[in-house]
Amino acid sequence: MNWLLGLLGWVDKRIPIISTWEKHLSKYYAPKNFNAWYFFGSLAMLVLVNQLLTGVWLTMFYEPTEEGAFASVEYIMRDVQLGWVIRYMHSTGASAFFAVVYLHMLRGMMYGSYQKPRELLWLIGMVIYVVLMAEAFMGYVLPWGQMSLWGAKVIISLFGTIPIIGGDLQTWIQGDFVIAGATLTRFFSLHVIAMPLVLIMLVFVHIVALHEVGSNNPDGIEIKKNKDENGIPKDGIPFHPYYSVHDIVGICYFLFIFIAIIFFAPEMGGYFLEAPNFEHANFLKTPDHIAPVWYFTPFYSMLRAVPDPFWGFVVMGAGIVVLFFLPWLDRSGVKSIRYKGMISKVALIAFIVSFLILGVLGTWAPSEGRALLAVTATIVYFMYFLAMPFWTSFEKTKPVPERVVMKGIGTVKFLGLVVLILVLTALPLKAVAAGGAVHLDHMQVNLDDKASLQSGAQIFTNYCMGCHSTKYARYQRVADDLGIPRDLYEEHLVFDGSKIGSLMEIAMTEENAKAWFGVAPPDLTLVARVRSPDWLYTYMRSFYRDDTRPFGVNNKTFPNVGMPHMLVDLQGLQECGPGAGAGKTLDTLSGDVMLDDPCGSLEVKTKGSMSTEEYDKAVFDLVNFLAYMGEPIQDDRKRIGIYALLLLLLFSVFAYLLNREYWKGIH
Amino acid sequence: MTTNNVDVGRRRFLIGATSAVGAVGAAGIAVPFVASWSPSEKAKSAGASVKFNFSKMEFGALAVVEWRREPIYVVRRTKESLDLLEKIPAEKLKDATSANTDQQPEYAHNTHRSKNPEFLVIKAVCTHLGCAPKYRPEVGAEGLGKDWTGGFFCACHGSRFDMAGRVMAGSPAGANLAVPPYKFDGNAIIIGEDEGAA
Repeated sequence: MNWLLGLLGWVDKRIPIISTWEKHLSKYYAPKNFNAWYFFGSLAMLVLVNQLLTGVWLTMFYEPTEEGAFASVEYIMRDVQLGWVIRYMHSTGASAFFAVVYLHMLRGMMYGSYQKPRELLWLIGMVIYVVLMAEAFMGYVLPWGQMSLWGAKVIISLFGTIPIIGGDLQTWIQGDFVIAGATLTRFFSLHVIAMPLVLIMLVFVHIVALHEVGSNNPDGIEIKKNKDENGIPKDGIPFHPYYSVHDIVGICYFLFIFIAIIFFAPEMGGYFLEAPNFEHANFLKTPDHIAPVWYFTPFYSMLRAVPDPFWGFVVMGAGIVVLFFLPWLDRSGVKSIRYKGMISKVALIAFIVSFLILGVLGTWAPSEGRALLAVTATIVYFMYFLAMPFWTSFEKTKPVPERVVMKGIGTVKFLGLVVLILVLTALPLKAVAAGGAVHLDHMQVNLDDKASLQSGAQIFTNYCMGCHSTKYARYQRVADDLGIPRDLYEEHLVFDGSKIGSLMEIAMTEENAKAWFGVAPPDLTLVARVRSPDWLYTYMRSFYRDDTRPFGVNNKTFPNVGMPHMLVDLQGLQECGPGAGAGKTLDTLSGDVMLDDPCGSLEVKTKGSMSTEEYDKAVFDLVNFLAYMGEPIQDDRKRIGIYALLLLLLFSVFAYLLNREYWKGIH
Repeated sequence: MTTNNVDVGRRRFLIGATSAVGAVGAAGIAVPFVASWSPSEKAKSAGASVKFNFSKMEFGALAVVEWRREPIYVVRRTKESLDLLEKIPAEKLKDATSANTDQQPEYAHNTHRSKNPEFLVIKAVCTHLGCAPKYRPEVGAEGLGKDWTGGFFCACHGSRFDMAGRVMAGSPAGANLAVPPYKFDGNAIIIGEDEGAA
């Protein structure tokens, strides 16, 4: 031990280790009345580390080219051992970063953490936020899926709306006349090198600035004004060990949610990973709904609320810029919402509600009613900032106590407020919500049913693989996962003499396919993630005779599809039966026909080799197999997730007890 | 703030327990990061065994087969060259008996260093510094001296090997040329897979 201390002394004379440790941790006095809102700063650090670490690893396997990007992401998801864990950690981390940062910012707004002397701290934080948005945007382009391409197109086109220089600026940013490989490579470089470097430096400066002025607290009291005889703030407590053990508890809460999403809902219902992004970028086809990822949607709504491209861009930008001015917009003599007047409280709730409404609207397709709501919410959002100097000047505030108070509004009141905010958000949204989703027949994917998967693989190989590849998957993996011996699989289910280890490509080239069919039959590796199993299950069962179509059949679920009914020998040919059809169901925004039901019922008129029940089962097997193909590791994912959560639970118990042990004497 | 009543033992236990479970968790998080560096399915597929059909090979001919990005020499040896192998005195070789068992599977641990005497299957990677040795089957080949009994000569640094890939005394190379795992399947040799493997 002695020589270790000696070494420490030697090093400390040359690098200030001990004084740095003391200044920033063991003798950094933080107010002792922090509540749960104060977790988000350290959580943001945790997520940053997560993004850096997983990002470094993803960069090892990712290929930043127009040709290879999409396939390399699937390579990570399938071929790299446990690569899917790293990718989901990164994709979920991106959303978690924004969730944490938004709550961190809201905390600052509630307790006036931007007021003197913390103006610069707030400004640095705002710069971090803007850089983070750029970082996230560029990262979303990298998988080179449909949303990557079209999202990038929309955002980059914004620069094109700037008068005079816009067009040239847009071309310069793209490095091409369209978004292309050149755009992808520069975004890659910025995403993995430039932006992270800037972020790390800014976070460092943010913390240095924080430790210079000291942390604010829920009461908005400067604890440095009340020091004891040793010059230590009476309401302060050393960050380490008190807040280090405290933050570990916060990290546990966070990790429960984070791990649950990674292992049980990595797509988060299409909000974290959007379904169209499982389809390769296609310059000729815009997805029906272009919605940015959820963390951009409030500002996206503002953009759409303005009926002019350039001014929409300006308003959207102003929505972010106005936040920079917050320290000078608040003229109140008190910092914390606890001691501000009623107007401030109501205004803050109105602000949160407007932000949430804009966020939800941004994920929806625009309609007339929604546009009106978006305009209203945008006005409320800006009024919060623009009217703030007035009400904060004359508003009567409550007296601020001398010393910090350990109790806040309490759990019940807090939950009440959350409910109030959610209700206020939901009510106007409900008024403009649209019904009329297409009815799909439900099927429950079951990857434990190996017999079903094997039969599905057989149907797929025999009927679909003539035209459709599944080129991101390998035969060998499919054989192993489905419990089919490799030599049997090679003999019966590999028709083109490929090696068992190869990707499941087909002989038909895209050029030939276009010449023969008009459009190339899409690759189906990820079709279940793009379309959903229910959609596929319904689609494969709703072909009907239509002599006006080139192949003599049409489809209710995919009207005017350019594909013949491959399974007609099995199902037989359906024709219109008695009853009146519902006609066309149009997508409200794109006007595309989502469902065309020309007849009340379909009947098999020309018998196939299977009964209806047998055919339904065959289609079930096929779709079950495609669901497996979409994400082969989904069962592993859930199993590992349970172990991870159990370990975390054990850790949380100890962390909770440790925190309680340190804090039990402190009031 | 009170510093009295601190239960040091309890704190110590809780710190230890939290750290221990935390360490297990950290190890768990490290698993995907470590595992991802292992050969991917793509690499494994590229590294899978290759089939080589020898039915058209003449006696004395050499075929180069690529396996795991390395050249594999398959030589169909003549009766004469096999006889010559037996006659090379042990002192002229560094490892006449193939005592270094890392250089060949068990079934090639013999004078001709192969499963079937007729076929030599070796990695054409010189055990000195990794060049591919040239195939020089002629006895007394030009430039290699009268004593040359046929074999492989590494032009990079002059290592000499006999028709069984055994390294000659006086060569810079220290070990015999390595024999990869292989098995016979009718008229074909499957390189990269043997009876031991699935």
